[in-house]
Amino acid sequence: MTHIVEVRGLVRELSGGGAAPQTILHGIDLAVPHGQFLALTGASGSGKSTLLYLIGALDRATSGEIWLDGVEMGGLDDDDRAAFRNERLGFVFQFHFLLPEFNVLENVALPMWRRGIHRDDANDRAYEALALLGLEELWKRKPGQLSGGQQQRVSIARAVANDPALILADEPTGNLDSKNAEIVFDVFAQIAGDHGRTVVMVTHDKDFAMRADRQVQLRDGRILADARRGEEIIPPSQRMRQVSHSR
Amino acid sequence: MAAVANAADRRAEVRRERRVAFADVRTVWFIALRQLWERKLLNGIAIGGVVLGILVLIAMNGIFSGFSMKFTMAILKISPHVIVFDTELRPQPSILARHEGTFVATSVAHEVPSDRQARIKRPSEIVRALQQMSEVRAAAPSLAGMALIEYGGKTKSIDIRGIDVDAQQNVTPLNQFVKKGSLGALAVATDGIVVGSGVAADLGLHLGDVVHAAAPGGRPLDLKVVAIIEAEIPPVDKVRAYALLRNVQTLLGKPDIVSRIEVRLWDENQGFAAAERIERMFGYDAEPWQETNGNFLAIFAMQAMIGRFIVAAILLVGGFGILAVQIMIVLQKTRDIAILRSVGLRRLDILRIFLLQGLIIALIGGAIGDLLGKLALIQLAKLPVKMEGLVKSDTFLIHEDPSFYVYGVVFALVVGVFASLLPAIRGSRVEPVDVLRGQIG
Repeated sequence: MTHIVEVRGLVRELSGGGAAPQTILHGIDLAVPHGQFLALTGASGSGKSTLLYLIGALDRATSGEIWLDGVEMGGLDDDDRAAFRNERLGFVFQFHFLLPEFNVLENVALPMWRRGIHRDDANDRAYEALALLGLEELWKRKPGQLSGGQQQRVSIARAVANDPALILADEPTGNLDSKNAEIVFDVFAQIAGDHGRTVVMVTHDKDFAMRADRQVQLRDGRILADARRGEEIIPPSQRMRQVSHSR
Repeated sequence: MAAVANAADRRAEVRRERRVAFADVRTVWFIALRQLWERKLLNGIAIGGVVLGILVLIAMNGIFSGFSMKFTMAILKISPHVIVFDTELRPQPSILARHEGTFVATSVAHEVPSDRQARIKRPSEIVRALQQMSEVRAAAPSLAGMALIEYGGKTKSIDIRGIDVDAQQNVTPLNQFVKKGSLGALAVATDGIVVGSGVAADLGLHLGDVVHAAAPGGRPLDLKVVAIIEAEIPPVDKVRAYALLRNVQTLLGKPDIVSRIEVRLWDENQGFAAAERIERMFGYDAEPWQETNGNFLAIFAMQAMIGRFIVAAILLVGGFGILAVQIMIVLQKTRDIAILRSVGLRRLDILRIFLLQGLIIALIGGAIGDLLGKLALIQLAKLPVKMEGLVKSDTFLIHEDPSFYVYGVVFALVVGVFASLLPAIRGSRVEPVDVLRGQIG
């Protein structure tokens, strides 16, 4: 298994408010190899976040297949997918989703407690993850006492502490100033590069997207372009040829 | 290089990791308790609602059962467990009626009732037979009737009982109620009368005063007050009087007549069964105390019912308090629920968190309610209240039963579970994707 993520013919329709179903994704095919740092880009409403949630086992596809680490998500029920998220995936969201009642260390360790890891071991690992992000001094603080950049780094620590196969980030720099955004991006680059983890990141930032290993651009629920670092973004008219060529 | 070594160490550590049983339950407890603690004010309000409900439940129960227990206990002393009346259940038809249709009388148009007085025939035999019954503790013959007594220009209608003092004492322990004088004097003096405290108060009677008593069809008598009794049940104390059977028979003009036999049982709860057996054995109407005092007992039953409605209403309000607070928390916490779900908590975990919080609120509320209820009962029992209705007392009559406190906590828990069920289900239905997309939260 060389690909950690394999998406085949993925379609997602939304039927909201009694209106006619709205197709968000029109048959996406995507394969992400182990250790790749992939940036998903595209305008608002292009379907990039929807694709990310589907890959993150948070949402169900209307049709098509999602293989994560050799497991097909469509065959899992709600509890199985929750367990899968808990054990194999790490999430980072735009609005640094931390639990306000718990201190930094507890926030990072909580998914591991749920998994059944002994509290001391989980706390050790949480502390290590915080140290990796230079936050070990702040472990006792509540999220409310941290800056936006620090909170986002804590949520990255939470995502990596569990030692997940895949880390999914939804515009993790979208709510940060440029300096903090730079720090957070570098952390992701480091996680993917030095630690060999796979990262799929949705971003609006063209500069960050260029610096990822690979950039996949979506428009209107279809893959518009797919480029490795340093390559030009391929125009839509040539996309099919390029994809078939790469196979 | 250091980073790689670190990663290797970490992986080794992962392999070594110790696993914990019931990790889901432990995590749920941890989250539930922390969230409760961090929302002390809101949850305190919810707890307050439960406390109030349980407090009222205990106080109401204490007061209502205090009254009815006091009444029941007093009535069981002053009134017999079963009364055998002089009403025959299968009266013998008259001689005339028995011969209707024969040559003696072809038809009976209208029979004029004879003026033979109702009576229990051969009462001493029946008393002896009753005393042989296993459930009967004592039996005493008596004659009851209405009479007027006059003293100092004031007249009062009384319910007078002609008794055999010793036998009656075994059935209704009258000496326990003697306030002044002594019951023994009734047996010794030939013309004594024992009056209820209410009768004495109305006529201004004291020991040694002589009253003039009269009844239709009888011979007036002058009787001397030898004792004043008080059962602390005003309906009894205001009208009751006792005198020797012989004197009352004279007074009422019913020589040698016994109108009732009063029975005391070993177990007062067997009243209905015993009365039925007595009726079958002797053919006279027998009435258990529950029937004799049915009016009063019905009042208490009604009172208990009203009390239950009030308590149910207050607990319901307390339940809505939990519901409101929990719904508010669930709505506020939609984002946090999405986080918990995305990091791998199941729907059931979320459901458990909110149910557990409801249970803990209920448990704390129930415990504090029990405690305050206990204090309330202690204070209420000291509260001076002059009352003279069905029961006479100087303070609130409080009955304390350990079952109140058990009920308190049990009701609190039931209310807690029901009230938090809806919010918990709502919380467990939160779809993380909806929150992440920004549709909610």
